[in-house]
Amino acid sequence: MGIEPVALGLAARGAAKLAIDRVSKRFGRGASAVQALEPVDLAVQAGDFVCILGPSGCGKSTLLNIVAGFESPTSGVATLDGRAITGPGPERGVVFQQGALFTWLTVRDNVAFGPRALGKPVAEARDIADRYLELVGLSAFASRHPYELSGGMQQRVGIARALANEPEVLLMDEPFAALDQQTRELLQEEIRAIWRRTGKTVLWITHSIEEALFLATHLVVMTARPGRLKAAFACTFSRDPDPLVATTAAFADAKRAVVGLLRQESLAAQRQEAAA
Amino acid sequence: MAAHPVVLDEAVGTPDAEGPDVARRTARRDRWLGVASFGAMLAVWIAVTGSGLWPPLVNPTFLPSPLTVAQTFLKLANSGYQGHTLAHHFLISLMRFGIAFGVCIAVGVPVGLLMGMHSGVRAVLDPPIETTRPIPKLALLPLFIIWFGIGELSKTIVIIAALFPMMSIAAMQAVRSVSIRKIQAAQSLGASRSMIFWRVLLPASLPGIFTGIRVAVGIGVTMLVGAEMVATSDGIAWMALTAADFVQTDVVLVGVLVMAALGYSLDLLVRWLERRLVHWTGRE
Repeated sequence: MGIEPVALGLAARGAAKLAIDRVSKRFGRGASAVQALEPVDLAVQAGDFVCILGPSGCGKSTLLNIVAGFESPTSGVATLDGRAITGPGPERGVVFQQGALFTWLTVRDNVAFGPRALGKPVAEARDIADRYLELVGLSAFASRHPYELSGGMQQRVGIARALANEPEVLLMDEPFAALDQQTRELLQEEIRAIWRRTGKTVLWITHSIEEALFLATHLVVMTARPGRLKAAFACTFSRDPDPLVATTAAFADAKRAVVGLLRQESLAAQRQEAAA
Repeated sequence: MAAHPVVLDEAVGTPDAEGPDVARRTARRDRWLGVASFGAMLAVWIAVTGSGLWPPLVNPTFLPSPLTVAQTFLKLANSGYQGHTLAHHFLISLMRFGIAFGVCIAVGVPVGLLMGMHSGVRAVLDPPIETTRPIPKLALLPLFIIWFGIGELSKTIVIIAALFPMMSIAAMQAVRSVSIRKIQAAQSLGASRSMIFWRVLLPASLPGIFTGIRVAVGIGVTMLVGAEMVATSDGIAWMALTAADFVQTDVVLVGVLVMAALGYSLDLLVRWLERRLVHWTGRE
């Protein structure tokens, strides 16, 4: 049990489901331009749960937005199953931090939105929605509206909605960042269970080291802006059936190693902010 | 540790500590206060006009008693004013308002939505709307009469001129403030452009559109009075304005009260529709 340094570049891993091939991003032009992302090289294989850790402003959300198709890279290309990503699409399900649910629809219709968008008839879409609501434990709330639910329940709706289209890849942009510690930990356990059951490929952005170690099969640490890959690890805690694995000595050792790496970058990010 | 009863008392007084019972009692009390406030206004009116109980404190020519106004209302309802029944005056006013309002909802709101979604449409339509917005639209009425004649058209157009920019700008702002996250979520669920419009942009904009409609109702009734000031021979505001020329204060008051009732019931109607249609207003 623990973490091992590993190479996650395209050359090192060969075949990849999701390939991020020298993707960089620059915002603005001329003197005021900001390099958000240095060329990043990352191969995600089918069934991987890749967590990307980095200080705030390091470009990790930009990377996810590029993979989601919300932004286009300044250079390089991201591909899924060999096809270049040029825009958003249902084969890449996205879960946002908060505020992305459709407030005017019931919980059931929020989850049924994707199947409806893909042309399924209403009744079938609602059946699919009910199945995924059961998966996230919200069957009793199917007819409520999102604003009647707690923050943790709203995030579960978001996860069910993203799963309902049976996407090839799940992209999660700090989905639990706005939740309290207890809710977060319970949802992390649920996500682990769902991931084991469905075997989905996941790209997960977070700034929480514990969350990354607990969930990830692979963990990537990014540098302060402009973001680069600083280190990558293979991580085995996610395969441990023990829900209390985060309290073990091996987990503490792994955390110490990652904290050391991330701390340097957070300090660098702080210096950048002070200078700006 | 010694107890701090003062702190405890304050804690009990906070809204969170109030039981449903307390909340219900407060609501009932506030309702009574509202009725009492209305009753007090009526009592002052009854008192200063005497109302047959004592000699009036003000000349009845300037302020007739509520009883006189009620009698005038019945008389007007039965025999009409200047050749038209009260119902005719009321309905013709309602029609002028209704047509103008309907045009603004049917055209102004879609135009605003387009402006919100398309920077090109915004670039074309924003200058005319923004530059004409500060002009008091009633000042344009003489011009509209020259252009469109003294019939219904010029009256309807002056009301439209006031309401259209309000509604289209409200709709534009509503679209532009829709969270990009919701649109991105719909896109990555595979929604087509038309599905994003009908199932995401439009419902997300409805609360803002309704706010614009409510403001427009109030302004619209005001504009109606202005539109009926010139070149008409019917309408509820015309009735009040004409009666003022003959110092028929009771008829003026009937007109004022009917218009107040019209404005108030239209506001109630829009609020009721808002509660029914956009239950998510202000919630996230």
